[in-house]
Amino acid sequence: MSRYFTFNTIVELTCLLVASICLTKDSNRAWRGMFWFLLITCVTEMTGIYVKGLYLADRAHVRPNSWVYNIFIIFEICFPSLMFIKILTKYANSKPTILCGLAIMYLVYVYEVITDGIFKKHNLTITLMAVLFVLYSLYYFYCLLKDESYINLKYSPAFWWVSGILFYYFGGTACNIFYNKLSTVIVTPKHYLTYYIYNALNLILYSCWSYSFICRKWLTKTSAA
Amino acid sequence: MVDKDISGLIIITTLIFLIAPAFLVLYIFIYNRRKKRHIEEKAQMQLTFEAEIAKTQYEVQEQTMQTIGADLHDNIGQLLSLTSLTLNSIELDNRLKAREKVDAAIDLTVRSIKEMRLLGKLLQGDQLVVSGLSEAIRHEINWMERSGKYKIKYTRAEDLPAANNPDKDLIVFRILQEILNNIIKHAHASRIYINLEYNEGTLKLEITDNGIGFNADELTDDQRGMGLQNMRKRAVIIGGEVAIKSNPGEGTQISIFIPYP
Repeated sequence: MSRYFTFNTIVELTCLLVASICLTKDSNRAWRGMFWFLLITCVTEMTGIYVKGLYLADRAHVRPNSWVYNIFIIFEICFPSLMFIKILTKYANSKPTILCGLAIMYLVYVYEVITDGIFKKHNLTITLMAVLFVLYSLYYFYCLLKDESYINLKYSPAFWWVSGILFYYFGGTACNIFYNKLSTVIVTPKHYLTYYIYNALNLILYSCWSYSFICRKWLTKTSAA
Repeated sequence: MVDKDISGLIIITTLIFLIAPAFLVLYIFIYNRRKKRHIEEKAQMQLTFEAEIAKTQYEVQEQTMQTIGADLHDNIGQLLSLTSLTLNSIELDNRLKAREKVDAAIDLTVRSIKEMRLLGKLLQGDQLVVSGLSEAIRHEINWMERSGKYKIKYTRAEDLPAANNPDKDLIVFRILQEILNNIIKHAHASRIYINLEYNEGTLKLEITDNGIGFNADELTDDQRGMGLQNMRKRAVIIGGEVAIKSNPGEGTQISIFIPYP
């Protein structure tokens, strides 16, 4: 049982807990969707650990857990894209562009499923997703700078949510690009280098998101009062 | 060895890729704080501006009331006293003399009515600008033309902004009234040209007359204080300026530039 509680899963479960407290009654569908996305993330993570256990026990008959994370990509593409539509609506009509990006990502995903199958990590889709999400984040920041009205960023849920995305996907660029080489680099006898980098990135991402969910709850409470 | 090299390279690259967004976020925070300060300063400036406008409007109103008071006392009061005296001194037995005195009393009453109309016009300013500056100028010109002493040509550009600024309109209109009053009182002019135009966010009102003109440097402090200084002060309050071109015997040209609306 304890193997299910890794650094990553604890961070993700904490974020899920915060989301369940702050977002389940949110008036906006995109923000409410973040709770379901985190739930799917945690389920994927647990399934990944379970499949990894099976694989380590019987390498001859069980495949590595990459296919679990490949299925997760479907949700990873969808939910943040919907959030970006919601966040950017305030500044521009970004819906067509983001839906276009969504279609391209799914096309590349299908292409990778056809060419590489489901058991090999879909690195091209992940890289493309990272690039698009970074671009959306930068566009959001650009809109924020251009906007004449003042927003208190310390308590802005959208700002912290986008910051988390930017840190995670921009920071993970090096890992994505050198993934094939990195997967052979072992730092400690137990873990690859990518494990530590992704742990750090996950910590930043889920910390930013948790804080953004809390801000969202505050904001809803304040506007209701 | 190769593994160590790659690890070092990836860690450094990842750190750089994390520092870059960190700086970006920091920059946005700093920029946002500046934006807040700028908005606060703008609001403060707007408040100061509104206070200045209110003060100027009050001063203009006060000045108008003073003019009305002085006119009532010195002019209309005198005329009416004179009318009363004339009517009192009528001797009904002497019909010819009585006729003369009644005619004199009628003349004095007509002059009083004229003076009253003049005062009424002064009080009307606030209502006139409600229908726009150009309309108020036209009304003022109509009134002056009725005296038959002046030939006035008014030209107005077609591209005047559709949106009005009543506060600025009233102040510009009061400056124009001041200029026209000066022309009536001092210029001995027969022709007046008024031109209203708009260019790149600036409203320009130009008043030219063919009167006796003056040398601005030779005006006494009192003369300057009453007219020209007031005009300049009012224009500055709404962010504008007044340019005066005049020489003895060559008429006067006064241009008012106001950022508009």
